Formats: sequence, C-alpha cells, structure tokens
Amino acid sequence: MASNILGILFDGLAYGSLLFLIGVGLSITMGLMNFINLAHGTFAMAGGYISASLSQRSGLPFLATLPVAFVGAGLFGLVAERLLFRRLYKAPHLDQVLFTFGFVLSSIAAAHYFFGAGQQMGVMPSFLQGQIRVYGIDLGRYRLLLIACVGLITLALHLILSKTRFGAQVRAAVDNQDAAAGLGINVGLIFSLCFALGTGLAGLGGALGIEVLGLDPGFPLKYMVYFLLVVVVGGAGTIRGPLIAAMILGVFDVAGKYYVPQAGAFIIYVLMIVLLLAFPTGLGGKRA
Amino acid sequence: MRADTSILSADAGIALSTERLTKVWGSFIANSDIDFRLPVGARHALIGPNGAGKTTFINMLTGVLAPTSGRVFIGGEDVTADRQERRVRKGIARTFQINNLFPGLTVLDSVLLAILERKNLAESWFRPLKSHVAEIEEAMDLITDLGLEAQAGVEVKTLAYGKQRLMEIALALASRPRILLLDEPAAGIPAGESSEVFSVIARLPSDVSILFIEHDMDLVRRFSQRITVLVGGKVLTEGAPDEIMADPRVREVYLGESAHG
Repeated sequence: MASNILGILFDGLAYGSLLFLIGVGLSITMGLMNFINLAHGTFAMAGGYISASLSQRSGLPFLATLPVAFVGAGLFGLVAERLLFRRLYKAPHLDQVLFTFGFVLSSIAAAHYFFGAGQQMGVMPSFLQGQIRVYGIDLGRYRLLLIACVGLITLALHLILSKTRFGAQVRAAVDNQDAAAGLGINVGLIFSLCFALGTGLAGLGGALGIEVLGLDPGFPLKYMVYFLLVVVVGGAGTIRGPLIAAMILGVFDVAGKYYVPQAGAFIIYVLMIVLLLAFPTGLGGKRA
Repeated sequence: MRADTSILSADAGIALSTERLTKVWGSFIANSDIDFRLPVGARHALIGPNGAGKTTFINMLTGVLAPTSGRVFIGGEDVTADRQERRVRKGIARTFQINNLFPGLTVLDSVLLAILERKNLAESWFRPLKSHVAEIEEAMDLITDLGLEAQAGVEVKTLAYGKQRLMEIALALASRPRILLLDEPAAGIPAGESSEVFSVIARLPSDVSILFIEHDMDLVRRFSQRITVLVGGKVLTEGAPDEIMADPRVREVYLGESAHG
C-alpha cells in the first residue's frame, strides 16, 4: 500500500513536471503583457509533432529530436508573436480570448490535415523502457528522465531569471512595463524572446510528454484548461508558483484517476477552486 | 505655423519642443494644441490644477502615450513616432509618480539596469548582473550621490517614500539624460525631506534641461526660472516666476482650486 502511494506520487510528479514545463512559458508571458493566451497548447503540440515526425520518418533517435522540437516550437512561437499575437496586447481581453481560441481551432485543423486524426506514437529507445527498483518502489525510467529534465530546466530558468541581466530586464518589465521602457529597456524585444523561450519549452514538453499526454490534433484543446490552471493557480509572472501548482495538479490528477476513476477530472477542479479561494492571486503570484 | 517649425528645427538652443500637441479621449480633450519649448539648461516648472493635463503632457513627451495630433521634437528632431526606449536613447529621462517602481528588484539592480541600457551592451544580456563590475561601480557612485548607499542592496518595495523618490531620480540620471522630466518629484514626502530632493535636482549639471511638475508653489518659486501654467488641457500663460505669481488669472485658478478642497 505504501509503495503504491509512493508510486502514484512519483507518477504524479512526472505528470506535474510536464505540465510545468509546458505551462511556465505561459506564466511568464501572461505576467509580462497581461495577455490572455489560450493557444499555448498549440506550440506544445507543434513540438510533439516535430519529434514524432522526425523519429518515425527520419529515424532520428528520440532524445535527438528533443532539441529540434524546442527550437522548432520556439521559432514558430517567435513568428506567430511577431506577426499575430503582438497586435492584440492592447486589445480587450475578450478579443484576446476569441483570437487565441480561433488560433487553437485553426491549429487543430492544420494538424488534422498534415498528420491525420490518429494518436502519434513516440519511438522510445529501449533504455527508457522498463523500470528501476529503488527501495522497493518501481520507478519508470522514462518518468525519471522527465523529472530530471524538468528539474534541470527549472534550475536553469531560475538562474537566468534571478542572476542575469536578461532576467532583471524581464523582472523589471513584469513589475512595470512603462517604467522599464523608461530605463531604456526594449520591452517589445524582451517579450518576443520570452514568448519564443516559453513556446520552445512548451514544444519540448509536448515532445517529451508523448508517452504520458498522448498526441493527436485535439491536444491543444484537451489540455488547455490544465495549462491555464497551472498559471492561474500558480500566479502569473513567476516560476515558483506554477511549479508548485503543476506538481499539486499532477499528483492529485493521477491519484484521483487511480482511486476514484468515476470522478474523472472532477477532483482537480474542486481542488483548484479551493486553492483559488485560499490564494486569490495565485500561490506565487505578484498580482491578481 | 509651418515657418515657425523650420525655425524651431534649426534652433540648437532648444532641447525639447512640441507643436500643437493634442490628446483626446472620446469627447474629453486632455491636451489641446500645446506649443512648448524647453531651452537647453532650463529649469522649467509645469503647474496647474488637478486634471489640467500635466501628466498627460509628460506622457506624450516621453512616448508613454501617443498624441492624437501634433508633434514632439528632441533637439529639433521629430520623435513623435519613436517608442519610449528610443526616446530614452535620444536623451530624455523621467520619473514616474509611482511607488514601488520595481518592487522585486534591489536599488542597485534597478540603477544598474538603466546604466546597462544606456551603454547598450547587447552581448551582455545573458551574463550575470554581478559580472558588470565597472557599471556596478558607476551605479554605486550615483546611489551614494543621492544618499541611498545604505539601501543599495534592499528591495525597492521596502524603501520609505522619500527614498523611493530619490531612487527614481537616480534611475532617471543613470541614463545621463540631456532632458529630465520630473513628475511631482517630492510627492508623498514629508515636507522636511522635499527640499532634500530638490537640492539634489539643483546640483545637476547646468546643461541638463529640466521640466518638473510641482504643486508646492514655494518649491516652484525657488527652483524654476520659468513657469508654464496648464488649465483644462490648454496653456493659460507662460513666464518668469514673479510674473506668473502676480498674474490674476493664475491666482484665480489656484484660489478656485483650494476653495474646492
């Protein structure tokens, strides 16, 4: 029983790691521009398809497809931001919601057209299959890789944001955009870079997560609420809040589906309502 | 009007000027046809009752707001289409009438950021802040000049109001501006400390042109050479402090304001 609980905890943390990896970029960009973006899942999906296509058609090893998924999704994000999203920063929130939702629907249709309706299968190398037994608990190798990857990326993000000049520019722009521009900071460029980095990480998450999250054209719609919950519960503009929120979400989702499968995602939504009532500005949020 | 503009552009003695600057929100005219000139080295006060459009005017000068019509010139160059950070690079700096400017940054980091932007070291974006040794030294000098050295490592949100105002001035000075716009630099500071802020401003190099918004007429009289009075979005009058203080229309506006509370 105890090992069962620990096993579920482990699976939940792996799942939460993926949600964080995909959601963290959304947190930063929403915090920066106060821009409601429902389309973040589209970039995660793009990363997933890049990885799946490369491993299925070109025979590239799974791990080698990951950097390509990161760069590809990031470039896609950069272009989309410069051409489309940028025009809506000052628009009413309803316009932003309608536009980004339309973007999601278009991306679903495009994925359908190019890749078909079916589930994509990741081609896992043999060393990522199976489990390792640690203190009597079976830990999936693939899930260990997920947690390790996300741990490293979180550390890197933290160092970039807290130590570098770019990080200080981002923090200044999150705090006060006009005053940041008043120092001479090119806030538009900072935002483009954050958007590219965030969508790149989402793409990496989409690629890494094929085994856990699945990948079909409905992906951006299916997980939209999860990514938004990570940001809303965690608080926009930070990385610590979404990290905690994603882990809570992951663990409770996995545990709920295991112990009370008939309740489905109900448990998550109740939990999120409770958390939002307790922390209206998010767990690590700087503003409402 | 057109002939006037060409004279304006040719005049090297003008640091900042506007031509028929106008801002309209719906049916509300915040600024109407403002023609303004700030000579190099000026100490110029902008006064007027609440709602006269003073901050709107400053916001259009710095590029926070886009004008509905009219133009802004820095040293004769039309900058109306330039975004805020480009105007900063062309020599304009300002303070915001905002507390907790960057609550999550320290005083030193905030000033350091402004210095790094001025130097435009694009290659240092992903270097640690701490590795910019020469710039940290410059920031500390500036912070010390403003008497903030004890607070250098402190997060901005924990600073007292007076210290926050001084930090804003440090931030504006870090870009080594030719034109400094101060929006109520002494707002929210206990009366005793406001002259501390203004004595810092008075010590600035004489070639820096300063335009400041201030309500305290005593401070205005002491620190300005010229005053522009804005009422209802229009320039009511402009002149030397003694002329302005003696102007019956100005007295009426100010008495009217105090009568309304």
